[in-house]
Formats: sequence, C-alpha cells, structure tokens
Amino acid sequence: MRDAYIVGAGQSKYGAFPDESYRSLFTTAFEEALGSAAGVEAADIDEAVVGSLGVGGRQLGLSGPAVTEHVGLHGVPCSRIENACAASGYAVRQAVQAVKSGMADVALAGGYEVMTDMSGDVAKYWLGVSGETEWERLTGTTFAGVYAQMASAYLDAYDASPDHFSKVAVKNHANGAKNPKAHLGFECSLDDARSAPVVADPLNLYHCCPTSDGAAAVLVASEDVASACDDAVRVAGVGAASERVGLFQRDSYTAVESSERAAAAAYEMAGLGPDDVDFAEVHDCFAIAELLAYEDLGFCERGHAPELVDSGATELGGDLPVNPSGGLKSKGHPIGATGAGQVVEAFKQLAGRAGDRQVSGANVGLTHNVGGSGGAAVVHVLEGGAL
Amino acid sequence: MSADDSARATPGIAGVGAYVPRLYLPASAYREAWGKGGAPGVERVAVADADEDTLTMATEAGRRALDAAGVDASDIGHLAFATTTPPNDEDESAVRLVSLLGVDPSVPTRQFGGSTRAGAVALAATVEATRGSGAGAGTGSGGSALVVVADSPRGAPESDEAAGAGAGAAALVLTGDAPLAVDAVGEFGDPAPGTRFRGFGSAETESIGVTQYERDAYTRAVGGAVEALGIDVAELDPEAVSLTAPDEKLPYRAADALGVEPARIAAGTVVSRTGDTGAAGPFLGLASALDSAVDAGGDESSGRSPASSVLLVGYGGGAGATALALSVGATDTNSAASSVVPVEAALDGDVELTYAEALRRRGTITGGEPAGGGAYVSVPTWKRTIPQRHRLVAGECADCGALSFPPEGACPDCGSLAGYDDAALPGTGTVEAATAIGQGGAPPEFVEQQQRAGSFPVAVVAFDGPGGEADTRTVSAPAQVVHSPAGTPAIGDRVEAVPRRIYEQEGVVRYGFKVVPTEARR
Repeated sequence: MRDAYIVGAGQSKYGAFPDESYRSLFTTAFEEALGSAAGVEAADIDEAVVGSLGVGGRQLGLSGPAVTEHVGLHGVPCSRIENACAASGYAVRQAVQAVKSGMADVALAGGYEVMTDMSGDVAKYWLGVSGETEWERLTGTTFAGVYAQMASAYLDAYDASPDHFSKVAVKNHANGAKNPKAHLGFECSLDDARSAPVVADPLNLYHCCPTSDGAAAVLVASEDVASACDDAVRVAGVGAASERVGLFQRDSYTAVESSERAAAAAYEMAGLGPDDVDFAEVHDCFAIAELLAYEDLGFCERGHAPELVDSGATELGGDLPVNPSGGLKSKGHPIGATGAGQVVEAFKQLAGRAGDRQVSGANVGLTHNVGGSGGAAVVHVLEGGAL
Repeated sequence: MSADDSARATPGIAGVGAYVPRLYLPASAYREAWGKGGAPGVERVAVADADEDTLTMATEAGRRALDAAGVDASDIGHLAFATTTPPNDEDESAVRLVSLLGVDPSVPTRQFGGSTRAGAVALAATVEATRGSGAGAGTGSGGSALVVVADSPRGAPESDEAAGAGAGAAALVLTGDAPLAVDAVGEFGDPAPGTRFRGFGSAETESIGVTQYERDAYTRAVGGAVEALGIDVAELDPEAVSLTAPDEKLPYRAADALGVEPARIAAGTVVSRTGDTGAAGPFLGLASALDSAVDAGGDESSGRSPASSVLLVGYGGGAGATALALSVGATDTNSAASSVVPVEAALDGDVELTYAEALRRRGTITGGEPAGGGAYVSVPTWKRTIPQRHRLVAGECADCGALSFPPEGACPDCGSLAGYDDAALPGTGTVEAATAIGQGGAPPEFVEQQQRAGSFPVAVVAFDGPGGEADTRTVSAPAQVVHSPAGTPAIGDRVEAVPRRIYEQEGVVRYGFKVVPTEARR
C-alpha cells in the first residue's frame, strides 16, 4: 500500500461557546486545516470521515453530511464514526486507509462535539452513555467512577500515590498555558491539584478533564499531493484495537489492552519503537489514564509510570514530552474532536509550528486516543520531514 | 380448627428469620424536631434505606428463615407474602419474592394485605392450606411452606403514625415435623371504622384519633380472636404474647382481656426498638421471643430461655383480629433439642440518623429523577437478566467450563459461542477495584438515591464460584456497596450480595443485588 501524509490540520479553540454551533466550530477547524495545506483545495477532497458521540442528541443521524455540506463539500461521501472518545482518532485512521488503498487522493478526517450548552444533569447523562450500560452504568457510575476504580487498583498494585495524579495535572496545565487553543489554559500548582474536591475517590477535580466544545480537522493525502505541500507529515504507523466495554469484563484493571495492541500494531507498521518517539499526545481524560498510557505505549515498564512522572521526563523540556498541547486535561476534551485534535497538535509540532510549546527536534510523534474506559483505542505514529 | 383436631398432621414452625433495617431514628430526634412526644414507649424507629422496601426486606427475612430452618428454597412448596405497604398497590409482589428467594416458580403464591392483620391471616391461611399435605407432610421436594411478612408504614409527617413508623420483615418456615406447632386459630371482627386506615391511593396511614374508641376496638377484636381459639389461655400459659403494636402502650391494654401478665406481652413485643412495623410487628415479636440470643428489652429479660409457647395476634384497624396459639408439642417437651426453633434475626439498628436524614431516606424531602433522563434499559431487557439480578446466576462455558457473568456472548476465556450452563454463585466475593461517587457525581438515574442516601461506594467484585471461597474460579461484576464503614472499601475486602432496589424507570422498580462488607453484615 502507498504512503499517506497529513498535509494540513486545524482546530477551533476548545472551551465553552454559547454562540457557536457544532457546524460553526467545524467550519473554523476545516478552514484552518485547509489554510495550512497550501496547494490543496476543498474541491480536491474525495472522501470525508468525521467523528462525534452526538452529546446532547442534537443531530444523531446523518451528522456527518450535516457538517460537510455546511462547509461546502457538496456531494463528497461522508461517514460518521461513533467510537465514544476515540471517534475522530478512528476517523483519521479511516481517512488514512482511504488514501493508502488508493480510493482517495485527499481525505478529510475530523470531529466535533458541543458539551457545554446543557444542564449538568443532561451532561452527566451523556457522559455515561459509553460505559457498559446494563451493569456498569447501573451501579451509578459514569467514567469518573470507572477510571477511579482503575486508579484504586493501580494504587493497590504499585508504588504510586494520588500525588502522581496531581503531578500529571500540573504538567499538562503548564503546557496548556502555552496553547492559545486550550480550554483551561492556565497553570496550576501542585497544592491546587492536591486539594481539589473529590469527584470519585481517589480522583479529584484536577485529576479529571473538562467537558468542552470544539472541532478539529485533518487533511490526509497521497504522496503525489503531499509533495506539492509546504508541510507533509508521514503517517508511519496506524494501529487500533477493541476491548470489552465493561471494566469488570476485562483481564486487567491496571492496563488497557486495546491501547497495548493498538500501539504494538502502529509501531510494527512504522518499523519504530517507543524509544524512537520524540513526543506523544496521549488520552489523559483522567490523570490515571496518562499513567496507564505510559505503560501501555511502552514508554516504561509496568508499574513504573510514577517514576517517569517524578523524573520530569514527560515535561515539555524532558526526554519524552507528553501532551505538549496540554492534553485533555488542559487543552480540553470535546469528545468527538479529541482524537483528530491530537493529530492537529502532532502535525504542528512536526511542522515546527507549535509556538511556545514547540518540542525541540521533534521528528517522530505519537497520538493515542481511547474510547470509553478502553473499549476502543487508536494510535498513530507520525514522522516529520519525510518529503 | 382447634387443638383437638389431630386427625391430620399439623404444620409447625421450623425456622424463623427476621430483618430490621440497620438505620434508626431515636425518639429524641423526633421530639427535638417537633417539640412533642411521638409514639408512646417507642425509643427508636427503624428506617428503611433509600434502596430498601418491603420486598427487599422480605427477601432478607426469607433468606434468614430458610437458613435457620436448614431448608433449601427448592423445598418450598407454598409461599405467602403479607404486607400493607407493597412496592406497588397492584403488582405480583409475591412472584418477585419467589424469584428473589429462588423458590420454584410453580409453587402456589398467596399475597395478603389490606390491614395490619395480614401477617396473622397469611399464617392462618398457610396452616389451613398445607394441613395434611405439603408442609403438613414435610416430605421431600416442596414439602415446606414459607410465610413472609414485611411492612414499612408511613404517616403524615406531623402525625403520631409518622412518629412511630418503623420498618421490618419476618419469615417463618413451616414443616410438618416442626417443633413449634400451630395448635389453634381464632378470628374475630367487629366494625370500628376510623381506627387505622389508609385511603385509596394514599401512602399515609391515619386514624381519627378518638383514643378510648380506638383502645376499645383493639381490645375487643384481640380479645374476641383469642376467645375464638377455643382453648383455655391459662392452660396454654403463653410465655410470650406477640400483638400488633403501633406503639408500646396499646398492646398492654389487652392484658386484662387476655388474662395474661404484662410481662408476657413485653416478652413478645419489640415495637420500642423497631417502631410500628405494621403487619410484621407480631412476627418480629415472635422472633425475639423464640430467640434467647435476642435481648427483648433490657436487663430483666436477658439470659431468659426461648419461649416454648406463644400467643400471636394480628390486629387490623377497622377492626378485626386473628389469633394463633403456638406451642411445643406434648411429644416434644422432653426433647431439649426439639424445643428450640432456630432463629436468624437482625432486630436492632446500629446506624443512627438525624431527623433530616430520616426524612431524606424516606424520600419525604427529596426530588425525583432530574431532567436529562437516565440510562435507558428497557424493561424486557431487564427481565432477561432477572436470574442474574435476583439470584446471581452465572454461566459455565459449555466448552471450557470458565465462569461468565452475565452469561451471554462469547466465553471470556476461550471465545466459544457454545453457550453456558447455569452456575449459581453463593454471593460472597472480594473487592478488586473501588471508588465512592460523591454528591453531584452520579448519573441522573441515581441522583434521587444520592439525595436520599448520600455518597455511595461502587466496587468491582470478584465473586466466588459456585463452590464458595474454596472455589478457585471467580467471576467479576460491578456492584454498589452498602454500609461500608470506611467509605470506599479497600481492595481485598470480603463482601456479600444483598437484595436491593437498583433504580426505578418508567414507574417500574428494578430489583437487583448490591454488596455489603462481610464485616458489616448483620
């Protein structure tokens, strides 16, 4: 199969925008993506794949065409992917497949979500719809509860403390403060993060990402198209995997098997390994999830994520910066946009356009997008300067 | 019927179970809130938790009675359920109880209600229905009967009925060869409107409050029923008298009419510790009287022997009464072993509530489900999982024997789609992962529960395989944790399944299991 390249990427600001609609947010992202891909025009797009959970139920059916027609992609085949929080990570994967297979020369992948225009009760209803419904949800949990259970098992199994969750929050806020698109773009102190109110023991408010509005868009193209673009990032590896939806159905509560499998497949396709990765955007919906990601993605051995955090290696100036964008914690988490938004950050980093949060010498980046508590995961390994 | 009707085998009581919620409101809290006395002589009232009702309490009592009698649920051939406060006014509560207890669905079920006499009526009817056969024969499968009585009366918040309202359930296993025989049944009714009643569609019991009229109605009905027993009460010489007791004073009004000492009534009355438990009251009193381990009310009765003869009278406002004379049979009096009816009872609460907390638990001052809707699980979907919800029926893979819960889809171990054989779990297990969901953290369908009962822990539990703790196989399932003393349970804690209301949607209460830490189990 031929190579696929990211030739343009953009996103709306993430946050709470009562004056915006899911379509206006998507338009912003689409225009930025198109504007960053000199040489590619809207008319060149052969295929579109967009991700959304559909929070709020605003356009559950045919929401894909609803956004692509809105931005003028009249007639372009569009499908919507629903894989909970991994929806648009999977959309990028589908676009990559379309290009690699030869069915499309330019494919648009993106995602969007509006989560802040409803009451807290309605939002909480939607936040739990991707958990295992009949048993897990009916114990009274949403995802905070399920990740808290994973955190409890992790703290029991390894030499870790809730302080490690707080340190992840401090790091990601420090990065997000440098990202003008971030929802919670402010720094927080370790004391702030330690003393926040408990959401689901042992996780407190600073160990949980916000709910956000936002959209992201990525243009995937063939080598022929990419060679005419200013910036082209090669999709070196793609991996994805599913796992049982309910935590209680899994073999382990301290590892996300779908992430492990997705990473292994992506590394194999890329011919690269975790040591080759210069930075990563990982799915830190809860602080425990970032620690699990370090281990699932092979950045350290099982049980050693707390050491990795303590070492400072995953901070912006460290050996392996993780979530330079601020991650879901600070940049924000508009569910359907998150996976594509990670690729937007990776594209900017590899193109050397990440501003104050630029990872120096970034050549290989990894994105890691998880649906639910691990029911779906997708990993991309991206390589800059390849053309 | 009477004691001399001995041509047919007379069923008797082989085991007693009793369950009273562990939450209680001291009378002092009521007095402080209202500036008035409350129900005479009632020191505390039991309060059902937000996820308990008469059906969950009945299940708790029923399971205890079966344990006490050493009778398996599959040996029950007849089930009677009595309550004046069923979860729904119209619904087959007894059929749900059969399912929750694991009784064969083809057994006759009889449901009694309509007045606080219902429990005694249920017992009398069951004795009559099973005489000379079934429970009377006491042989083989289906040879036993189960009578379960549960009640959780309510009153208007400012009323004496509300001040005294308690909650509890008791259950009796009847067999033909049981130690404590039902010697005689007597009944009496005489119209006395307004003495205790509840209007159509109302949740609140009331009375017209004409004191002497109500006392007379009580004494006349109870006395009439005992007279109708056709036996000499002095000869029966009941060591305990268990009467319907809305408070700690009314039962003693009947002492003269019955010709018994007040101390005998005290020996069979628990209303001061539980509050008014409606139809279940006399049966909780019976459980207390039969169980020497249960202290019925203070120093003077501690260390006493279990009663070998009991007079049980159910009274219903309106008014009517049913009396039953219970005694250890003449052939059994020399056998120490047979004189003891096994009892498993949890009669005393251990978690004190404030008045506001009690109102929250009862739902008096809390709202319903908020806007936003709940996770939708259709009733037919729920119905398909009832064996798992009610009785923890897991599956054993037909190919590899691994356990699966719920037993559906591909085997978690070998991936086979060959299906599962039923494998009932004993309900014990170990916490594998745990959290506690704080106020504001629950999804909408659990917001009302949280308003009523506060933060709740949720665990993933590795349930023991069918062989119990010794079984090397476990299977995991998530469950809320009730009565976790430390808040979030610790990983490795042992827990046991208990029947509870999970949630209500479309007006339908969904029953299932939660878990309680074994160390906190009563």
